[in-house]
Amino acid sequence: MMSTSIYNTDASTTDNYLNHTKGVFSWLFTLDHKRIGMMYLVCVLTAFFIAGVFAMLIRFHLLTPEGMFMTQDQYNQAFTAHGAMMVFLVIIPGVPAALGNFVLPIMLGAKDVAFPRLNLFSWWLWVFGLIFFLLSLAVGGLDTGWTFYTPYSIDKTSSMGGVIPALAGAFVLGFSSIFTGMNFIVTIHRLRPAGMTWFRMPLFLWATYATAIIQVLATPVIGITLLLLIVERSVGIGIFDPAMGGDPVLYQHFFWFYSHPAVYIMILPAMGVVSELIAVHSHRHIFGYKFIAYSSIAIALFGFLVWGHHMFTSGQSPLMNVIFSLITFSVSIPSAVKVFNWLATLYKGSIVFNAPMLYGLSFIFIFTIGGLTGIHLGTLATDVHLHDTYFVVAHFHYVMMGSALIGFIGGIHHWWPKMTGKLYNEFWSRFAAILVFIGFNMTFFTQFMLGSKGMPRRYATYVDVPELQIYHVISTIGSVIMAVGFVITAIYLLESIFRGRKAPRNPWGGRSLEWQCASPPPWNNFDEQPVVGDCYDFSVLEWDDEEQGYHWKEGVAHPGEEESEIE
Amino acid sequence: MMSSAFSILFGTTVGNPETFWLPEQASTAAHSVDITFVLINWICYFFFAAIVSSLVFFCVKYRRKSHVMVTDGPTHNTTIEIVWTVLPLLLVIVIFVVGMRGYLDLQEAPEGCYEVQVTAQKWSWTFDHPQYGATQVAELTVPLGRPVRLLMTSKDLIHSLWIPSFRVKMDVIPGRYTSLWFEATKLGVFQLNCTEYCGKGHSEMLAKVHVVPADEFEPYMVKLASEYEDMTSEQLPAYAINRLYNRCQSCHTLDGTVSTGPSFMGLWDRVNTGAVKFTSGESLSSLLGSMTEYGVPENYIRASILDPQKHIVQGFLGAMPSFQGQLKDKQITAIIEMFKNLEDLTDADGNITVNRDGTPKE
Repeated sequence: MMSTSIYNTDASTTDNYLNHTKGVFSWLFTLDHKRIGMMYLVCVLTAFFIAGVFAMLIRFHLLTPEGMFMTQDQYNQAFTAHGAMMVFLVIIPGVPAALGNFVLPIMLGAKDVAFPRLNLFSWWLWVFGLIFFLLSLAVGGLDTGWTFYTPYSIDKTSSMGGVIPALAGAFVLGFSSIFTGMNFIVTIHRLRPAGMTWFRMPLFLWATYATAIIQVLATPVIGITLLLLIVERSVGIGIFDPAMGGDPVLYQHFFWFYSHPAVYIMILPAMGVVSELIAVHSHRHIFGYKFIAYSSIAIALFGFLVWGHHMFTSGQSPLMNVIFSLITFSVSIPSAVKVFNWLATLYKGSIVFNAPMLYGLSFIFIFTIGGLTGIHLGTLATDVHLHDTYFVVAHFHYVMMGSALIGFIGGIHHWWPKMTGKLYNEFWSRFAAILVFIGFNMTFFTQFMLGSKGMPRRYATYVDVPELQIYHVISTIGSVIMAVGFVITAIYLLESIFRGRKAPRNPWGGRSLEWQCASPPPWNNFDEQPVVGDCYDFSVLEWDDEEQGYHWKEGVAHPGEEESEIE
Repeated sequence: MMSSAFSILFGTTVGNPETFWLPEQASTAAHSVDITFVLINWICYFFFAAIVSSLVFFCVKYRRKSHVMVTDGPTHNTTIEIVWTVLPLLLVIVIFVVGMRGYLDLQEAPEGCYEVQVTAQKWSWTFDHPQYGATQVAELTVPLGRPVRLLMTSKDLIHSLWIPSFRVKMDVIPGRYTSLWFEATKLGVFQLNCTEYCGKGHSEMLAKVHVVPADEFEPYMVKLASEYEDMTSEQLPAYAINRLYNRCQSCHTLDGTVSTGPSFMGLWDRVNTGAVKFTSGESLSSLLGSMTEYGVPENYIRASILDPQKHIVQGFLGAMPSFQGQLKDKQITAIIEMFKNLEDLTDADGNITVNRDGTPKE
């Protein structure tokens, strides 16, 4: 009964990764992936709060056609800060760096990632990226939008003074992302335990792996582009500046060659989280494992070939537009395949409506709308009308916020008992999840109509279309509901740390390896290499009333034992 | 044939009024774009209904009743995977083809288009009618039922011209030309927006498109081309504030508020007395007088319009573009007359109080 010890003995409650060593420096310079993941989580959620405040400023300002309280310059800085921080500091590092760092090595039964020092360095680069962004606000402000389009960003009489620090910040954050990606690729290749073949990995790892490929291959391109932009703005080499014979549209190609794949850096890990949420909280073996796994890789690869669909009205040739439109539709298929497989997983399941599952179900609903409205934008005839309007704003919030971020928040709820060793309040967590769902849809569904009826993006006022005010008002009310949901979430999560019930080892009945070590995990995760079975076969688990969690069913052999008997 | 079948199916006919999703249709392109839009909508409604109803149905039917593990569901089915991969693939190919045809049909402007040259600059639109030698600012008049081609370029940043009711949009780029065309199908006034972010005045970079009957178009343009030439100096201020000021308004207010540039309120007094300080530290008074650069103060205003970077007023960035070649001498005279008579043209809040013909506004 050697391996039983892994599953059934409770690790010491006195020694775990949270209290193994003490002091601020034991955290700031830790090489432990769990601590680094938690530091990422705290930082990313702080940035999410700041960027969220900017979002609320934008929504309240747009309550009236003339704008409520900001000057145009202030408004432009608000939407730039909101967009740049949400993309570079929150959504891109969110799931992979915060949740991935914590969960990925444990899911593999490993002690840590392959390169712990590089991992710590990634986190520090994130902090430096944040400092550069704050610096850009201090040295003259930033009003280019998160896209830094030329010639606006290189024209010093147009854009504000903070462009170079912001570009430096995005550059540094790019390296943070590359290092995390490299680390995860090597970790997944080298540190899988005995018995975990590629097709026995949890789907979250497939998604993280696909993401890491994009991080490593696409991010260098934006790094070079940002450097060129810094040189162009400071010295004037004339590569993007039309006044010097440069091509401002070339920048758009460089930018979207990274930034479209970056959309998949944001959404793929969240899809991985949702695959776990749906399977674990319906206690059903995931349906179509291989199709979900391959579709992640397909999305990662196709994602490199579609950047031109951001430029249908940029004056590029109609032939290029036609080709990019065609390839764009190819990405929609693997996304649809995932949705159908999640639905099929629910069939004949045992579905529980706790907070993680509510976020998982929200994801399916919202991503369906986000994906379907992508058809309007990938289609040439309709995109010409919809490009750069609120229709686009609504679409990418459905994908990046309603899907990627909701997946992240669902993942936080899913792994919170593991990370903190505490259970959060059931009632308030469900209530907040429902508020966020309602608020989100009110905020952003109205923006589809706003856009198709004539509201361009990045407008501080809309005096020419005052009849659209009602949509803005509904949208703002929705954003307040959503904000209340997030505030409640922050309160009960913090409260759980201090007063929450102690979490069992396996509160949901998950089968992947992280549910087999203690909550919170001990310093070394596992005392001995665990042996792996089918991570979606829940039939071997049973509920224990005393423990208020699941454990291995009496009389059912562990995977390792069966094999050793055969041998 | 196909398009009329769609029309019946989706209830869109040429010149539809505003719908739940889209603004009114006022061009030939609008009709064809909307057919594609509505087709995609119906496909979306179908998939949304199918996905969400099965989601809700499963959630109700298979909600957890006990902690006992139920594990008799299927884990994979290759046939169904292939079906739900291939069916959507075929469907998106159809959508792609419909959208591509609609798009390509609108790429080639028809023969014999009426051509307008569009110049975008922070933050106004200028429309030149070379056929009539007329120029419009923030207003574009086009004939009904005749294809119009816009040949566009930008003086500074990338802008983008969008007319929602016409469903046309194209970026306007410095250092090159882009073009689009449309044929208006409805009389009236339609909004025109800049949709590529261009900084502070982006949301005010607006214009109105006036669609007039074809037989009224030519007389209107002939009159527009020459209207200021026969005007007396009494008529010029009202003309300037109604026809020319809209090119200045995104940076220069009439009520004394400081914007990107100095306010026009009291500007003539400041210039006339030389009470303007430049970033160089010089003041205007040292440049006025018979032996100096400008002689009479009117020449300073003329130079500020044609060569605005020469002297930059203290506290401002010098963001103004040159209007060399865009304004005729008599129009510059009109602007100077406007400055001199500004108190008669506006109220204290900076609202314009006269019509172009000099009659008071209602």
